[in-house]
Amino acid sequence: MVFSFIFLPLVIAACLPLIGKISKKVIPDVLTNATLGFLLINSILLIKPIFSRGSLLQNINWFGENVNLQIALDGFNLFMLFTISLVSLCITLFSIDYLKHYGHQANFYALLLVMVAGMNGLVLVPDLFSVYLFLEVAAVASYALVAFGLGPEELEASFKYLMLSVVASAFVLLSITVIFGLTGSLSFQAVARGLQDLNAGPVLGVCLAFFIMGFGLKAALVPFHAWLPDAHPSAPAPISAMLSGLLIKVSGVYALFRIVYSVVGMTPALSRVLMAMGAISIVVAALLALGHNDIKRMLAYSSISQVGYIILGLAIGTPLGIAGGLFHLFNHAVAKGLLFLNSGSIQHITGTRNLNELGGLGKKVPITAGTNLVGALSIAGVPPLAGFWSKLIIIIALVQANHFGYALVAILASILTLWYYLLIQRKAFFGPLNDRWQQIKEAPFWMNAANIILALLCLLVGIFFSPIFKTWIAPAADALARGVQQVLMWGI
Amino acid sequence: MVIQILLLSGLVLFSILAILLKDLLKAALSLAVASLFLGIIFFRLGAPYAGVFEISVVAGLITVLFALTVALTRKDSEVQEARLTKLVFPLFFVIFLIIDGLVMKGLLQQVPALPAGPETGTFGEVLWKARTFDLVAQLGVILAGVLAVLALFRKKEEDKDE
Repeated sequence: MVFSFIFLPLVIAACLPLIGKISKKVIPDVLTNATLGFLLINSILLIKPIFSRGSLLQNINWFGENVNLQIALDGFNLFMLFTISLVSLCITLFSIDYLKHYGHQANFYALLLVMVAGMNGLVLVPDLFSVYLFLEVAAVASYALVAFGLGPEELEASFKYLMLSVVASAFVLLSITVIFGLTGSLSFQAVARGLQDLNAGPVLGVCLAFFIMGFGLKAALVPFHAWLPDAHPSAPAPISAMLSGLLIKVSGVYALFRIVYSVVGMTPALSRVLMAMGAISIVVAALLALGHNDIKRMLAYSSISQVGYIILGLAIGTPLGIAGGLFHLFNHAVAKGLLFLNSGSIQHITGTRNLNELGGLGKKVPITAGTNLVGALSIAGVPPLAGFWSKLIIIIALVQANHFGYALVAILASILTLWYYLLIQRKAFFGPLNDRWQQIKEAPFWMNAANIILALLCLLVGIFFSPIFKTWIAPAADALARGVQQVLMWGI
Repeated sequence: MVIQILLLSGLVLFSILAILLKDLLKAALSLAVASLFLGIIFFRLGAPYAGVFEISVVAGLITVLFALTVALTRKDSEVQEARLTKLVFPLFFVIFLIIDGLVMKGLLQQVPALPAGPETGTFGEVLWKARTFDLVAQLGVILAGVLAVLALFRKKEEDKDE
């Protein structure tokens, strides 16, 4: 069952171009959504066995032949699988109507499923080199998806993204090579055990610096963020949602922290470096977001800022900090997915994303305006929405760990975030209605449905935050907080 | 020894081809073949993991990326190779074979035998039994590359129809 997270999307993706010859729209729509729906249910069904057993190490045979197809599942990566499946499903629901712009649904869905398979593979494999390879699976699909519109802007953004992503991959690969040289192994367990026995401080420090540069580029942390404000706005709205909501978190944040906590082991010095980078990202990206009129570009800068919060929380090193970081990762995936999809709705309705051309849309398109407001307030951290609780937990964890300066930065940047999100609200949805928009209508059914589901998630996770946090987030955080011991326990 | 020389000849031959060919796709494929030879040499020298990675990453993964990029950027499928290339290449290759034949045998005898690496097993065992997930991921990368070409060439074809 666990292997279906990798193989099912790959198989369906391979079939979709052929299916697209028979049915251009209906079957690709149904098949893609059914696949992601199945993966979502699968991840929910795994919650009980994983949380009761702690971890699962699974190997499969290939027609009786013993091959090395091994996956490891614990609370942390199950949490990531659930987030990927949930947000991807909402994105493909939105795409049912949105893709009428572009056509070629079968190809689009095939690439999207390969990206999902790549992310799932990255999350599941307990081997450094396989992590790198699945990173590339997701990345290659994402380059094509960013350029899917084929306009000059999209192609330029895709090329820029490709170039910087290749640099990131090179750093990651270089670091993996050195670790292989040090320990003679690539599996998480063997590397973790090998590094415990070795006294390789300086060399390991260089490896970690390369990992931070590589995964920092993937996560678009300041100062490695230059590609993101071009790539994310240029892509079709569902892909912007995938990239900002999921890909930067899986290929940047998940990979970095899985290696830092579970393979190498977190150290105070590393914690300080990562926290500083997180705090700088929060402030710099929030300030950069203020000067833009393109909604998607503002959202892209906001993603960099919010990834800063996630890094800040995860890098504290305390169980509460890790839980806060993971909770914010989930909340941001949902809310930013919603906001990017919503920007697609706005573009679909009006034909523009320029805030200066919009105004008063709230009266004409209440569903789009309402769901946008929920997503914006959640990310800004307004109670009782989900984003408020995750930011609050991060700030409490910072105070508990005596990082008062960082706590202050997190609070002040939150006000800055609220400012630029209210700016979007005021310019797009409030004020007098521009004459150009007298005839506009709400977005089609599936686009609204996806927006409503994600908005309800922001609201319900906020309202039922306490049981969700205890039963879902805390066990995932514990798996990470156990550090190297977690990986050494796999399969025992 | 004969196999080793043949492999090294193949490696040099295709490396030079990769530099001299003007058609980028052919150059990328030549690099892939050179990498394949290098991977086999690694394997024969007792470093199967290095061999597997060389073949899987350079011959497999990077070639797909090159092919994809070339497919996306070139406008004309026909590329005229320079006459100089056509003349220089066979000359280069013959000179190489002569030097190789005269020098290599004596040179290889002076190289001390390498100690056995930590990893053991045949190429198939390493690739299939130890690094199976890498094969799956590479299939994923190749699939992504093929789908990307299909997706990104669609409008050009439509424009042509118009």
